[in-house]
Amino acid sequence: MVKITKAKKRIALEITILVVVMVTLVLSLTIMKKPTERELKWVNPNEVSSSQLVEKPSLFNKHEIEFTGEAVTARMVRDNGDGGKGAWIHLNDDSYMYRSVGSGGSLSGYNSGVAVWVHDVALTDAIKNFGGYKTNGDVVKISGIFNAACSVHGGDIDVHATSVEVVSKGLDTVRVVPKWKVAVAIIFVLLAVMMFAIDHRRTLREKFGQWRPLNERD
Amino acid sequence: MILRPTKVSYQVIAFYTGKVILGVGLLMVIPLLTAIGFQEWDAAVDFVISIALSLIIGFATQAYFRTEKDLNWGEGLVVSAGSWFWAVLLAAMPYWLSGHLATYLDACFDTMSGFTTTGLFMMQDLDHISVALNMWRHLITFAGGQGIVVIALTFLFRGTAGAYKLYVGEGKDERLLPNVVQTARAIWLVSTVYLILGTLVLWLINLYLGFEPVMGFFDAAWSFMTAWSTGGFAPSSFNGMYYHSAARDIVMVIVMMIGTMNFALHWAIWTGKRREILKNLEIQTFAVTIVIFSGLAIVGLAKAGVYEDALSMVRKVAVMMASAHTTTGMATIYSRAFVTEWGPIGLTAAIFAMMVGGSACSTSGGIKAIRVGLIAKSTYADIRASILPESAVIKTRYHHIKDSFLNEPLLRAAYTIVVLYLAVYLFSAVVGTFYGYDFLQSLFEGVSAASNSGLSCGLTSPAMPEFMKVLYLFTMWLGRLEFVSAFALGGHFISVFKGK
Repeated sequence: MVKITKAKKRIALEITILVVVMVTLVLSLTIMKKPTERELKWVNPNEVSSSQLVEKPSLFNKHEIEFTGEAVTARMVRDNGDGGKGAWIHLNDDSYMYRSVGSGGSLSGYNSGVAVWVHDVALTDAIKNFGGYKTNGDVVKISGIFNAACSVHGGDIDVHATSVEVVSKGLDTVRVVPKWKVAVAIIFVLLAVMMFAIDHRRTLREKFGQWRPLNERD
Repeated sequence: MILRPTKVSYQVIAFYTGKVILGVGLLMVIPLLTAIGFQEWDAAVDFVISIALSLIIGFATQAYFRTEKDLNWGEGLVVSAGSWFWAVLLAAMPYWLSGHLATYLDACFDTMSGFTTTGLFMMQDLDHISVALNMWRHLITFAGGQGIVVIALTFLFRGTAGAYKLYVGEGKDERLLPNVVQTARAIWLVSTVYLILGTLVLWLINLYLGFEPVMGFFDAAWSFMTAWSTGGFAPSSFNGMYYHSAARDIVMVIVMMIGTMNFALHWAIWTGKRREILKNLEIQTFAVTIVIFSGLAIVGLAKAGVYEDALSMVRKVAVMMASAHTTTGMATIYSRAFVTEWGPIGLTAAIFAMMVGGSACSTSGGIKAIRVGLIAKSTYADIRASILPESAVIKTRYHHIKDSFLNEPLLRAAYTIVVLYLAVYLFSAVVGTFYGYDFLQSLFEGVSAASNSGLSCGLTSPAMPEFMKVLYLFTMWLGRLEFVSAFALGGHFISVFKGK
């Protein structure tokens, strides 16, 4: 009769643990899902969109335009060269302007927008929310001169705005951690601790040669 | 005769790959801490899941394939090449969980682009992603620039002989110090010191530009990481156009240039050999080619009359050509402007610059200036030989860290790599054309991916055909590893099925 030693039992136990870990992993991965997407019927509010401005810049060069978009990231206040302060803002007129992915907006490509230079910083004071992870930015309407290659600003494509108006206020994005994510995280952390323990035991055994705890000796 | 890998061989490969996977998992702790700091709980959970998954796989492979055997050459190359795929698969998890990518393939595209310091991306609604995810995007670029295996070598390996095979497998072949682990640590030392200095300088500029102090600091760190690693990602969808600052453009160009220098050259300068920068063939070649390609772009733009004044034109060309030639991919123009404003001449200049790329054993991609320099020297020698008497013996010397003579094996290796790069560039262009894109634009995008540049003229997007995404993903990897490790991995698979 084949004698089952403690060492063989240990190996069998570790293999069983590995199988259990792998099966649990696969099962956990199956409950992962993409965040719910809500379809949004969206129409670009601009007569000339940012994509059109970029595609045919020379066509609109030095033209007065009106442009509406979500203020994103932050306002950058700088000297305006006349002893006062101006500001750079960036307006996106993409499908995320009213609802970002974090607020349940559907994926519809890259962001798209234009840089706007406002010579008098006071005009931008009404913009309180800038789009980011936790916020949908204020939707802002500006009018001004479009430059295909602005000589004042190093050849950038930009708009020099003469008026700025907040069309709709932005809101904080409510991000709730889905329960399935928390469940998967807990399962994975437990499995990782288990695998670490197995690996660590083997490291100790390797380090101390033939040493075994008494209860594990053959 | 092809030999089938033995069980021990599989064991060694799995064991060392497990170590690299653990390294990737541990690296994710930084964005996790960022998420906690910014109270981005959704992102934090994404990173907990991804870290745990990496640790499970890493510890499992380490425990079950534990071995004392060292790596041989073939195994070292297979571990290097294979580790990149594992790293990409696992690093993509937080991307995918964020909900900003349509498919897992898109997430893998972005992480491969990050690790290979390319900079092309599929991420949608970039302007609304978490600070933690932005940290991860830039961190993998920074880590990828030094090499994923270099990270593992630095922190997780003992100084085995096999470690050198892993190091070479990642496209680096210069030992800065006698021990390869010390070399890996030296690479990190150089990068970390520059990271601290560069971040500080860019932070001060950001404060002057009107940034909030906290986000100004993070933006500075990310901008440095992307420029130093010749990566190309940016925290804003406006990329380099967000900043509107000549001072920042100048600093970024300097960082890109330093980032594209050979680590051996960095080390030589660090250890006091400052004249090396003037004598080095790679630097000389890079200087000549960037002037030629920039001149070409200026001619094209002047002809098209895009910019109203010469200063604006020179500034745009300087930044964009430095970005293309160092294979960074940072852009201060819209992607489509390459087509709508720069036109065929500007587009061609950028293509040539990306094709050549930066220095060998650096963070940059492309054919590499040293190979172009060696081939140019050999061509010149051949022309001289045809003019001089038959009995004349021509020996061509070149300087790269030390004086050496051109020889047949060196030139053959250079020509082989050049031909392989050109083949990949052309193949990508043909595939793009097959899908209905313009040939020049397809070539631009194909070269950008395979040379790990990351500039785009608008072809790359989440809507592009899946096959092209897979192709670019593969060519980014091939270009980063300079083919050798990829061939070793291919050879390994062949030997599994056909070996005896």
